[in-house]
This record gives sequence, C-alpha cells and structure tokens, in this order.
Amino acid sequence: MAGIIKISNLSYHYPDGTIGLNDVSFEVEKGETLVIVGANGTGKSTLFMNLMGVTEGNGHIEIMDMTLNKGNLKRIRQEMGMVFQNPDDQLFCPTVLDDVSFGPLNLGWDSTRVHNASHQALAMVGLESYGSRVSHHLSFGEKKRAAIATVLSMNPKILLLDEPTSGLDPRSTSKFINILYTLKSQGKTLLIVTHDIFLTQEIADRVLVFSEEKRPVAVGNYNDILSNNDLLLKHNLVHQHRHRHDTLVHEHEHRHGYGHEHQ
Amino acid sequence: MKQSQSLLENLDPRSKILSFLAIIFCMVLTPITRLKDFELYFLLILILGFLSKVTPVQVLKKVLILIPFVLFIALFVPFLKEGHECCSIQIPGWKLSITHEGIWTFLNIIIKSGLSILIMVIASATTPFADFLKGLGLLKIPPLLVMIMSFMYRYIFVLLDEAKRLMRARSLRFFGHHYKEQFRAVGYMIGVLFIRTFERSERIYHAMVVRGFAGEIPAIQRFRFSSMDFLFITGIIISLLFIVSGVIYKIEHTKIIHFHLWLGL
Repeated sequence: MAGIIKISNLSYHYPDGTIGLNDVSFEVEKGETLVIVGANGTGKSTLFMNLMGVTEGNGHIEIMDMTLNKGNLKRIRQEMGMVFQNPDDQLFCPTVLDDVSFGPLNLGWDSTRVHNASHQALAMVGLESYGSRVSHHLSFGEKKRAAIATVLSMNPKILLLDEPTSGLDPRSTSKFINILYTLKSQGKTLLIVTHDIFLTQEIADRVLVFSEEKRPVAVGNYNDILSNNDLLLKHNLVHQHRHRHDTLVHEHEHRHGYGHEHQ
Repeated sequence: MKQSQSLLENLDPRSKILSFLAIIFCMVLTPITRLKDFELYFLLILILGFLSKVTPVQVLKKVLILIPFVLFIALFVPFLKEGHECCSIQIPGWKLSITHEGIWTFLNIIIKSGLSILIMVIASATTPFADFLKGLGLLKIPPLLVMIMSFMYRYIFVLLDEAKRLMRARSLRFFGHHYKEQFRAVGYMIGVLFIRTFERSERIYHAMVVRGFAGEIPAIQRFRFSSMDFLFITGIIISLLFIVSGVIYKIEHTKIIHFHLWLGL
C-alpha cells in the first residue's frame, strides 16, 4: 500500500520556545483509519496544524506525493480537510449552508457544483433540512455534524478529525461513528485524534500513541495497542480507578468504554 | 401549519435595504416644520407594516426597547437649546427655561428617530440578518465591514454565554463581603474574556484558512431581482417624490383658493 501521508523528522516549537512536536516520523496508508491517542498536551492537535500548513515546523511532510510547501498549500487543503475540536470555531458563517459552501466557493467551483456538493454533504451527516438554520441555534451534536459537513463538501480524500466525539452524548456519538464508518467505506483516509478508547476500538485500523515527549512511542494494530496495559498506563490513557459492581468494590486500571474482566 | 410569507419577506434584501434607506434619508432631510410631510411618512410606514404582516404588538415590543434611548438623548434638549423662551420653571436659586427652538429640536429628534425605528423594526422582521448581510455584500458595501457585522452576529451569543459562565463562577464564590475586591474580580473577568476571545479568533481564522480563505467570504448567490422588486422600489420612489416635492401643500393651497372662489360666488 502507498503512503498517502509521509512525515519525517518533524519538529515544531511554539513562539515562546515550548516544544510542540519532537522529531515525529510516521506514515499513513491510503484508505486507512489511523487513530492518534495521547494525554493532553502531547502535540496531537499541533501535528494537525502542521499537516494543514497553518503552522510551520522543521522536517518533511509529504501528502499525496506532494511536499507540503506554500506553493501547493491550496491543492493540499482541497485534498485534506480538518474538523476542529470545537464546532463553534468551525462554524463562523451566519447560516449552516453558508458554512458548508464556504470551502467549495473558495475553491472557485461554479454555483451548481457548490449547491450540489453542499446539499450532499449535509445529507451525509443527516442535516438536509438545516441549511438555512443559524449555527448558534443548533445543539452541540448537530454543530459537530455540521462541522464535518463543512469539510465533506470539498470532497477531500483525507480527513483530520480533532477529538470528534468529545462532549457528545451516547446517541450523538453513535451517529458520529456511523458517519465515520460511511467515510471509511468510501475509501477516505481518516486521521483521528482522540482520548476516547471506545471510539478507537470501534473505528481504528492502526493506533499511534503520542508520549509526553511530544513524539510517537508506539504504533500498531488497535488490538495490540489497546491490550498493552503497561503502555496505556504509562502514557496516561488508562488510570487506576476504584469502582463498584453490585457488591464488589475494587480498583484496577480503567479504560472508559472498553471492557474488563473480573477474576 | 406554516404561515404564508408576506410581500416584504419575499422581496430581494437589496430592494428592501435601498428603499428603507431612501425613506430614512428623505425623512432626515425634511425640515421638522413641515409636519404634514411626517404624517405622510407615517402613512407610508403603516402601509409597509401592513405589507409585512408584522403585528402591532410585535412592533410595539421592539419600539419600546429602543425609544427610551432616544428619549434620554432628547429630553434635555428643550432646556439646553438657546433661543426664544416660551416658558420657564422656577426652582429656588435656579431657573429652567424652555425655548421654542428647543421644542422644535426635541420634536425633530423624537419624530425622525421614532419613524426610523419603525422602519428598522419592519426591516428586521421581514429580513433575516444573514440575508441582510448578503444584501449588503451584493450592494458592494466593503467586504471587511460586512465580515465584521457577520462575525459580530455569529459570535455575540457565544461571548455572552462565555461571560455568563464567568459571572456564574464568580457569584458561586461570592458571599457578600469585600465589595471593593469584587471590582478587581470583574476586571480579571474582562481580561479573561478578552484573552479567550482573542484565542478563539485565532482558532476561527485557522478554520477559515484551511478551507481556502483568501481575504473575502464568498456567498452563494441566492437572490434575484424580480419584477416585484422593481415595482416595490418604483412605488417607494414615487411616494417619496410625492412627499418631498410638497404636492400635498399645493393641493391644500388649491383647495383653499377654490374654497375662496366658492365663497366669492
């Protein structure tokens, strides 16, 4: 399989000198779903900003055989869409349709194509009738879905999703996972940053673990990674947790949404 | 069942913006001494209100919110404006004089702003803000100005929510002592709100940039000037010409002459 994203020796420092990314190297294959997990502040979102060319680090990034640089930024941003963690940051236009059509219009598509792409994207996330709605009147779950539609309307081949299920109730999470399944079945390459082990278990082909040293420390099949308790505990992805099962109260490492057996 | 849209709601926002601005412009330029003209402006606004299907209660609710601000500004004018004294109030050691010029200026402010508010209420009730912004954009209003208005509309509620959360967090830890310290806390809150807003603006900008933003927000062209729009604008222009040209005074003058002629006969 061909690597659709190739990152080698990528480092990034914030303007105040804090390390954002520390010698990051990995590849993502076409059509795969790579879930990036790690504790808070390990550089996962910073990685996305570097991939989208919003911030510029040292190192080499290649996306769809194009080296990331200012010359081909527009092309790369057409092929790779990013969904931000907070939908209020992503939905900045007065109506949902304006937001969804923002990207296609900036790409210079004609109005018929923009219209069709926007309505298809809204239909895909189940918000067909929401086009004329004002973004701040939507529920959080609807905002999250509208946010993903703003990217889908550009028909990107790669999607970067930053904490897609954070703050969602179980029903909204389930709807969101269904959308991700549809995207997966369409052959899209998905890069998902999350703390949600349940989502990881549901959707990941491979899992990449980021450490507090701002670099990947493990990558592998989701079963191998999720069953490695020592790794998860060391990198703050599970925690010691006391809880109750009927009359039994006990303490062990705990992964939310991921089952455990009792002896 | 959804209520059918009114004539004004179906119009292109550009025709409404242009027409309403023309009415306000003519009203502002009309001397207050021509009180009959303002009766006609009021009649024109009543007709617009009828075409908009906005209920008087809806209009009144919104007018009552805005009128106090105008009253506050205008209330002192009769006392402050210099001119011919018409009456005075004696307070021991102090004399408050009301002038003719002051009363006319007071009427000028109240009548013109009152009628303008009525027009704004009808405009806002028949044009969603998003359409209004698009209309401004299509009328070649500077994109930066339209963008600022758009962001203000989109994020004012988000900021209000943020401010409310901060206020709530403060009030939960405030037990009624050290009132002076509270000013400091409010100062911190304003600072925090500013920093959060600044950070949010950066994130929004990033979200715009990754979707190809290059300085302007493009919009889908959804509006089309119809024959109804042309009719509406023409009707407004004719009405304004009728009022501004002073035809009403000529008609009255002719009536008086005819009346005198009849008396002479």
